[in-house]
Amino acid sequence: MRAGPRPTGLRARVAAAFGLGALLVSAVLAGSTFLLARGYLLDQRESAATAAAFVDADFLRSRLATAGTGVDDVLAELSTEGGDVVVRRGDSWYSTSLEVGARDVPAGLRAIVESGSAGRERVDSPAGPRLVVGVPVAGAGLDVYEVAPLGELRSVLTTLSWVLGAAALAASAAGAGVGLWASRRVVQPLDQVAGAATRIAAGELTTRLPATDDPDLVAIVGSFNTMVDALAARIDRDARFVGDVSHELRSPLTSLTTAVEVMGARRGELDDRSRQALTLVEQQLARFRATLDDLLQLARLDNDPGARGDEPVAVGGLVREVLAASGRPAGLLETDPEEDTVVRGDKAWLERAVRNLLDNADRHAGGARAVRVARRGASVVLTVDDAGPGIPPEDRERVFERFARGPRAARGSLPGAGLGLAIVADVAARHGGGAWASASPAGGARLSLSLPAGPA
Amino acid sequence: MSPRLLLVEDDDPIRTALRWALEDEGYTVDEAVDGDRACALVDRDPPDVMVLDLMLGRTDGYTVVRHVRRAHDLPIIVVSARADTHDIVAALEAGADDYVTKPFAVKEITARLRALRRRAGGTPADAARPREVVLDRHPDEPLVLRPAAGTVSRGERPLPLTVTEFRLLCELASVPGRVLSRAELLERVWQHGFFGDERLVDVHIRRLRTKVELDPGAPRVVVTVRGLGYRLDPR
Repeated sequence: MRAGPRPTGLRARVAAAFGLGALLVSAVLAGSTFLLARGYLLDQRESAATAAAFVDADFLRSRLATAGTGVDDVLAELSTEGGDVVVRRGDSWYSTSLEVGARDVPAGLRAIVESGSAGRERVDSPAGPRLVVGVPVAGAGLDVYEVAPLGELRSVLTTLSWVLGAAALAASAAGAGVGLWASRRVVQPLDQVAGAATRIAAGELTTRLPATDDPDLVAIVGSFNTMVDALAARIDRDARFVGDVSHELRSPLTSLTTAVEVMGARRGELDDRSRQALTLVEQQLARFRATLDDLLQLARLDNDPGARGDEPVAVGGLVREVLAASGRPAGLLETDPEEDTVVRGDKAWLERAVRNLLDNADRHAGGARAVRVARRGASVVLTVDDAGPGIPPEDRERVFERFARGPRAARGSLPGAGLGLAIVADVAARHGGGAWASASPAGGARLSLSLPAGPA
Repeated sequence: MSPRLLLVEDDDPIRTALRWALEDEGYTVDEAVDGDRACALVDRDPPDVMVLDLMLGRTDGYTVVRHVRRAHDLPIIVVSARADTHDIVAALEAGADDYVTKPFAVKEITARLRALRRRAGGTPADAARPREVVLDRHPDEPLVLRPAAGTVSRGERPLPLTVTEFRLLCELASVPGRVLSRAELLERVWQHGFFGDERLVDVHIRRLRTKVELDPGAPRVVVTVRGLGYRLDPR
């Protein structure tokens, strides 16, 4: 029924164990009940048949003692309630019924009775099981056999065995049911732990298991909550570390940038070599600043998982403003009517994502060639096309990872440490959208950002 | 005469480099390395503008801002090193006019300073404005704005608005009954572009209300238009 070698679940195993245990116990009970009942009933039947045989034998003897009385006549007087009677006198056989006769007396029993002892034997006949009790009547030359049918008893026993079997099955089903219920009860705390772990993995670090006074669960709940405390403290420490490091870097970077700006204002007083050196320092400082800026933005995103604004932002207008603010030509943009491109979110983060996409095109492909904002069903899609070397298919997911880099050719020659697209991906994800890379029909790369459209 | 600027910064290299850069921009720069000295300097001889690091030793930047605001309306730019933006809002609520975050470029500070000083000194357009605008015809305590004189009064009482608050009120009063969006106010008052921090507007509107409204909890002069911006309703 199950596909593949999936291991049986804990709940199923506990239920099966309960069911099996109940089956075992009820089978033993039913079996012994059946055996006892059968023994008792058979004993009863045998003693009744034996008693009847002696009574009949006695009756026969006393009646036959009267001269002129035939065996047939006496047999006709006998009650055949408990079974038929077969009598051997010499080689002649007499019976109370046509259905039984000498053939129904087993040879072994006959030998015993003829040797002078009473005996009994159970036989199977075409008419059903029977009990034959043989009693020799000493002095009269008679052997009296009581042939008692056991069919009725057999059917009683069959009914009893069915009833007992059904009871055993019902007991094991009830056992399995109890097992299932008990295992649910036992597994319930595990489900709670699993739910809490899922919420924690999703970033809800304040999640804790509710306190319990169940002595069996106190240890688990306690150590789980302790683990989450430690984890949260660790994450907090890591985040603070990034914050501390960036704070430490900001101050020297600020004084450095400011001092270099002071030097830049005196560029004219420098000789050629010093001017070149100053230019190099300025470029590298800009790169340093951009990377630190990206790191700080990512740290802020990490510190604030899931948070996003809820203001309506027209992506078309936003891109136009970013183009204008960065001095890029407004003609790059092709947009659907702005009211169709409204999304809900945080304007500052979305602006950052748009700027990073444009900067990425600058860095790796000599600038964006076309920027489009279009409504596609329930999404607003921004695409930035460039005419650069493109991104090979195997790198198209990797470029959105932190510190992923473009082709080696571009490395080192331009600023940027490869955090820009990671920020784009993070911003897209927290707005419920996505970002991906593909090939531009113009030959270069196409980077796309999709966001769920807000109420226009 | 070159404007006098008080630079409060406890990090020596930053203070030194920033002093050079600001002097290049034509400011006469006084320095203070901690909050106590900054307060003392302002009390003795208030400067024209102030650039103040929030993270100072014993007496932090907020305390200095609050101290200065008790007696002076001079423009204050705070420098925040932390990405934690609660800092910035707290400093603005204490009375700072604008902020920059480290690492900044000198031109960011000088651009903000220019915008602030333009406000402090008034613009040519101010001369063309009416001498007196009544914003609230309250029978006992009318609210009167005198743009040319640079004063606002409630009844007989002159209101101690900072230059930014005064500018904000002038901009709103220049288009009575019309909504100005946060972005428009940022552009007009702070000269920030499209991507300025709109919290600047919200915090300063809040501070403005505590001064001009009779009941700041239920503003009737400067009203919020949800989702759009702010409007001045002359009464």
